[in-house]
Amino acid sequence: MATENKPAAAEDAKIDLFEDDDEFEEFEIDQDIGCSEWDDNEEGKEAMQQWEDDWDDDDVSDDFSLQLRRELELNSEKS
Amino acid sequence: MALHLSMGEAHRRIAEYLARFSDAVSSQDGSALKSLIFVSSNSFYLLALADALNVFQDSSRLVNQTDKYSQLGEILIPYFRCLQSIRIGRFVDAYVAFEKAANAFLQEFRNWETGWAMEAMHTVALEIRVLAERADRELASSGKNPEKLQGAGSFLMKVFGALAGKGPKRVGALYVTCQLFKIYFKLGTVHLCRSVIRSIETARIFDFEEFPTRDKVTYMYYTGRLEVFNENFLAADQKLMYALMHCNPRSKDNIRMILKYLIPVKLSIGILPKMELLEKYNLPEYMDVVNALKRGDLRLLRGALRDYEDRFLRSGVYLVLEKLELQVYQRLVKKIYIIQKQKDPSKAHQVKLEVIVKALKWLEMDMDVDEVECIMAILIYKNLIKGYFAHKSKVVVLSKQDPFPRLNGKPVNS
Repeated sequence: MATENKPAAAEDAKIDLFEDDDEFEEFEIDQDIGCSEWDDNEEGKEAMQQWEDDWDDDDVSDDFSLQLRRELELNSEKS
Repeated sequence: MALHLSMGEAHRRIAEYLARFSDAVSSQDGSALKSLIFVSSNSFYLLALADALNVFQDSSRLVNQTDKYSQLGEILIPYFRCLQSIRIGRFVDAYVAFEKAANAFLQEFRNWETGWAMEAMHTVALEIRVLAERADRELASSGKNPEKLQGAGSFLMKVFGALAGKGPKRVGALYVTCQLFKIYFKLGTVHLCRSVIRSIETARIFDFEEFPTRDKVTYMYYTGRLEVFNENFLAADQKLMYALMHCNPRSKDNIRMILKYLIPVKLSIGILPKMELLEKYNLPEYMDVVNALKRGDLRLLRGALRDYEDRFLRSGVYLVLEKLELQVYQRLVKKIYIIQKQKDPSKAHQVKLEVIVKALKWLEMDMDVDEVECIMAILIYKNLIKGYFAHKSKVVVLSKQDPFPRLNGKPVNS
């Protein structure tokens, strides 16, 4: 690569123009073969199961809720 | 190394390459052809060829003096120039030469009836983008206008056009589409994605299922990101989940990128990722956000938005996350309601605004009763709270049935 002296800040600012931080990496060509292997992969299934939709429960025994309760009880004659 | 290369050896290397190239074409060997033009693979073979070209200096004569090579001369001669330029680190020159070679290649490709050269065509598509990026960096760092990547985009549109027909070449169109996406995302001209998306999704010649999985995954990732930008959360969820489900499990970085955009979408429809997922794929920026939603902790959400502001802004999810505030308010009010119910079930469904103000103050959010009334009104309007507001007594009267409806996989009413 040709080496030139350039002020680091200017180069960084310019590099900013060209960035998409999240550019997908090219899949290797041989990963094409047996793509059905991808679909059946265990890890993929695992990634699918790492979500919860039942987190919105009525449990108020956690620290935050206990502190909230205490806070609301202060000057509780008003409430 | 070049210094020790004799003219004889240089000549031999170039002649050998020419033979291999023309053999690959005449025997329609797609993968052989691909390996002969895959510049950014940094293959020792191509580097050695570049050295030979720089020593020999008159490769055009070699090409033109043999018929079977001169027919491919429009490709080979500029391609050799490209290799030479890359070897001495001149990427603008390399790009200009490659673009010439690429156009000549495309012309030949159009004439080859079957898709035998598709891999090679894809390699050309990849290389032109990669070279354009390096060329633009060179231009920018010498204070000139970086316009090569844009040019690469125009070339790829031509390639797309050549593939958008009824024949077997059409299965290669999605790969080219994805290269275009990469260019448009890099340039920040994502509105240009629309026309290729329209071609892929509405043209009758394309059957999406026919495309290779790796291209479908990439396509769904980028179109999923576009849906996130446009806040179409249901569509974003569907696309990004497709990408996640079908992504090669060894591509951990790609999985991480999918999750980076999928998580804000999931949060917006009331679904939370488990901490293990965030840990496994190194996404600490979402941990406090998730906890804030679970707890109803507005201070924690605001803190997370502040701490990772740059990251969220760069990926464009900041506004999506900021809007989660309403869901956090809902959770907070729900907790107040449950706490009240435990003390005095008969009065629990009435929540005084004062109480909410107190809770917010504790969370370092200084709001007066009027502001809180406003927020409660919004929550009711958006069906995050079922009930009504008794303005005179400054009380939220909650519905006895399901006062805090869950999102259940749908985004908050807009």
